[in-house]
Amino acid sequence: MTLLRARDLRKDYRLDGEVVHALRGVSLEIEPGDYVAIAGPSGSGKSTLLHLLGGIDAPTAGSVELLGRPLERLPDRELTRLRLTKIGFVFQRFHLLPVLTAAENVELPMAEAGVPARERRQRARDLLAYVGLAHRINHRATQLSGGEMQRVAIARALANRPALILADEPTGELDAATGREILDLFRRLNADGTALVVVTHDEHLAAEARRKIHMLDGRISTAG
Amino acid sequence: MMKPAGIAALLLVLGGAQGGSPPEAGPVPPDGSLPPGTRASLPPIALERRLARRLQATVGDTVALSLEPGGPARAALVVAVYEPPSDPARVARREYGLRLHLPDLAALLGAEDRVDRFAVALREGVAPESAAARFNRIAFGFRAVPSVAIANQASQTFVVVSRFHDAIAVISVVASAVFLLCIMLLKVEERRHDAALMRLIGVRRRTIFGALLLEAVLVAAVGSGLGLGLALLASVATNAYYQRFFDTSLVFSLVTPGVVAFSVALSLGLGVAAGALAAWRLVRTRPVVLWGRG
Amino acid sequence: MPAALRNLRRHPMRSGLALAGVAVTTAMLLDMVLLSRGIERSFERLLLGRGYQIRVSPKGTLPFDTEATLAGATALRRTLESDPAVEAVGPFLGTSLHARRGDSLVTLFGYGIDPAAQALYQLEEGADLAPGDTAGVLLSRPAAQAIGAGIGDTVSLLGRLDPQTASAAVERRLVVRGLARWLYDYRGQPSVGTVLAVMQDLAWQRAEDRVSAMVVRVREGADLEAVVERLRAAAPRAEVNSVGELVAHFRQRLAYFRQLSSILGTISLGVTVLLVATLMTITVNERLGEIATLRAIGIGRGTIVRGVLAESLVLTVAGGGLGVGLGSVTARYLDQILTAFPGLPAAISFFVPEPRSLALAAGTLLATGVLAGVYPAVLAARAPIAATLRAEAT
Repeated sequence: MTLLRARDLRKDYRLDGEVVHALRGVSLEIEPGDYVAIAGPSGSGKSTLLHLLGGIDAPTAGSVELLGRPLERLPDRELTRLRLTKIGFVFQRFHLLPVLTAAENVELPMAEAGVPARERRQRARDLLAYVGLAHRINHRATQLSGGEMQRVAIARALANRPALILADEPTGELDAATGREILDLFRRLNADGTALVVVTHDEHLAAEARRKIHMLDGRISTAG
Repeated sequence: MMKPAGIAALLLVLGGAQGGSPPEAGPVPPDGSLPPGTRASLPPIALERRLARRLQATVGDTVALSLEPGGPARAALVVAVYEPPSDPARVARREYGLRLHLPDLAALLGAEDRVDRFAVALREGVAPESAAARFNRIAFGFRAVPSVAIANQASQTFVVVSRFHDAIAVISVVASAVFLLCIMLLKVEERRHDAALMRLIGVRRRTIFGALLLEAVLVAAVGSGLGLGLALLASVATNAYYQRFFDTSLVFSLVTPGVVAFSVALSLGLGVAAGALAAWRLVRTRPVVLWGRG
Repeated sequence: MPAALRNLRRHPMRSGLALAGVAVTTAMLLDMVLLSRGIERSFERLLLGRGYQIRVSPKGTLPFDTEATLAGATALRRTLESDPAVEAVGPFLGTSLHARRGDSLVTLFGYGIDPAAQALYQLEEGADLAPGDTAGVLLSRPAAQAIGAGIGDTVSLLGRLDPQTASAAVERRLVVRGLARWLYDYRGQPSVGTVLAVMQDLAWQRAEDRVSAMVVRVREGADLEAVVERLRAAAPRAEVNSVGELVAHFRQRLAYFRQLSSILGTISLGVTVLLVATLMTITVNERLGEIATLRAIGIGRGTIVRGVLAESLVLTVAGGGLGVGLGSVTARYLDQILTAFPGLPAAISFFVPEPRSLALAAGTLLATGVLAGVYPAVLAARAPIAATLRAEAT
């Protein structure tokens, strides 16, 4: 079954009284295990597309189906539940809760999903070990480096075993060496069966993907 | 030389205090219960306005006065209705007053030639304290006290109320000061990215501090103005309410120029001080820390 | 909750100031709640302290409110005692009198009582008066100091002074049996107490057998309201009030304090709501990026709202806890001021802590914490995810 299907997506929004046509009819499909990179200059609509694919924004026109369910018809509660259980998000600025430890940040989505405390603690430890941070479990987010924070964010995204990870400029705030570590991690994730859609300026990251989509002015310019 | 006062202003509680049972004095029905021609010989009395309203009595009516409920009553003729001076000490007690000539009251009480007190007017140049001291040297069973001492004693209640109000005001000022400081701190902290940016592009600390302080002054000034307006409204409402509640012309809340000046000075001062402290704290912090990267 | 606590520690100065602000307003709230009911409770306790539930006074007056008196006390007492529900009746007379101290006279307040049925004093030292003891007297400590007398001494009490002849119509020499604390005395009041007959003599009230008022104790289990109604019918020329009715009269006189406490209490609550709501709103605005991320990763609105409310509650409760301590101190200070009212019985207090008042203050504070968190919680829950993330990225 196709994991994600987007049809003729359009997105307009108002900025200082002007209408911005962020997306002008974008269609694409993501299959299980896919590794897709979306590249393009600033303002080409990459992040907007990612937001629509993840159900955190609604299209002006067009549709998105996740596992056959049209997102625009779902009430907020169900949409939130889908994001919690089927999709994992990774952001450029990590957005960890600074008052929580690495483990507690990873446990957060599991707690929301109702996973029992013992089970989620164990899984958090396992995930942090998976991303190479077994020794930083009890450190607060503010005590971690940029690369470590992004790895915690990735572990958090994996908490509820999502079928799909959506990453928006995951290496944007990192130096080259740390960026390569994240690249390795993504490679491992995809090899273990998780579908990845990554918005990036990073050529190395884009090169890792099996499919590359270039966007320009709200449209897909090339896909391969 | 001591002279008894011409008319003794005395309070008789005629019953009905606290809105309970009706007063024992009531209008004598105009049905001939008094022998003809006796009205002119009746002792004259003056009723306090509220009592007159309660009895539904006016000038020319006759009332019956007695010391005991159901006891022997003497008729009296209402010759005046008066408004007593507003006495804060008695405003909550809801007592009714009436005035009689002293001999008439003495006859009613059966206390011939007895009074509670004398009011003594001294010749010009005689000091009340020395006169009182002279009386007290020969006193037996009475004391002479200068009127000013009586006034001081009587106003002790208001000294207490005044001190209580002062204490509440102090607590309110402390709470306001903390509140102001907190709000100013929050307000200034909201601007930390702007402040960081300005510092990074070379704007001096002094300039940033001045800008933030000006904001604080404006907020404090507008807030003080609004607060003053609110206080004036509250004062009007307080007086309207309590004057009605206690049926009195006393003024309960008075906003004077002095009060206004003090309040505005205090609120402005506190607001500006709070803003200055918050601004100083902000400009002391390194720009990269403000930016969130340090 | 743990996250809420940690979030407050993120900005220690801000949180500290907010806690201080909440503490001060809570102190004010607590004091006003205590004030609104304190003096009534205190007065009620004073009236019921000796177990007499009814007061009988001259028609239209309250006990010790005026100089009016009741005539025919003995007959009236018999009438009251004839009610089967009445256990005891204690008449008393209050009057002004004098005592000799050397060549001068000291002004005192005198109580004429029936020692077997009285609600006016507690013996502190020495022996009590016996019911028929016409040779004894009890002094308050201030009176003992003013007269310069102690237990066992003989004092001269004078009544009905005639300034023309510089003599007293009545003079009695009495032996000081003991020192008593007169429950309705103001601080420092010099009071003396004798059996009723002696005081009636001194006050020149014996002929008409006058008293100021009477206290009545009702048998256990009797319907107090019904007894009051019966006594009113039996003694139509007297004013009969239960302690509850007296407290209601008292409440009327103290309307100013009750209303002031309501107004100030409400203002305190308003300030607390404003302070906490402002702090939480700014905090939420600062953390919109975090919140949008949480929503993006699947954290529901309900969880977000609960988180904000929890923080608001923690701030209010923590500040409130400090405020209770502060409020106790300020209550003592304010009580010291108010109990200096001239003529107020020393036993009266304006701020009386009782479980109901404390529960009311605590409940109000909790509700305030929730109320203050509502707007910022709604703000957080409604934050548009994508727009917020876009704004954070720029």
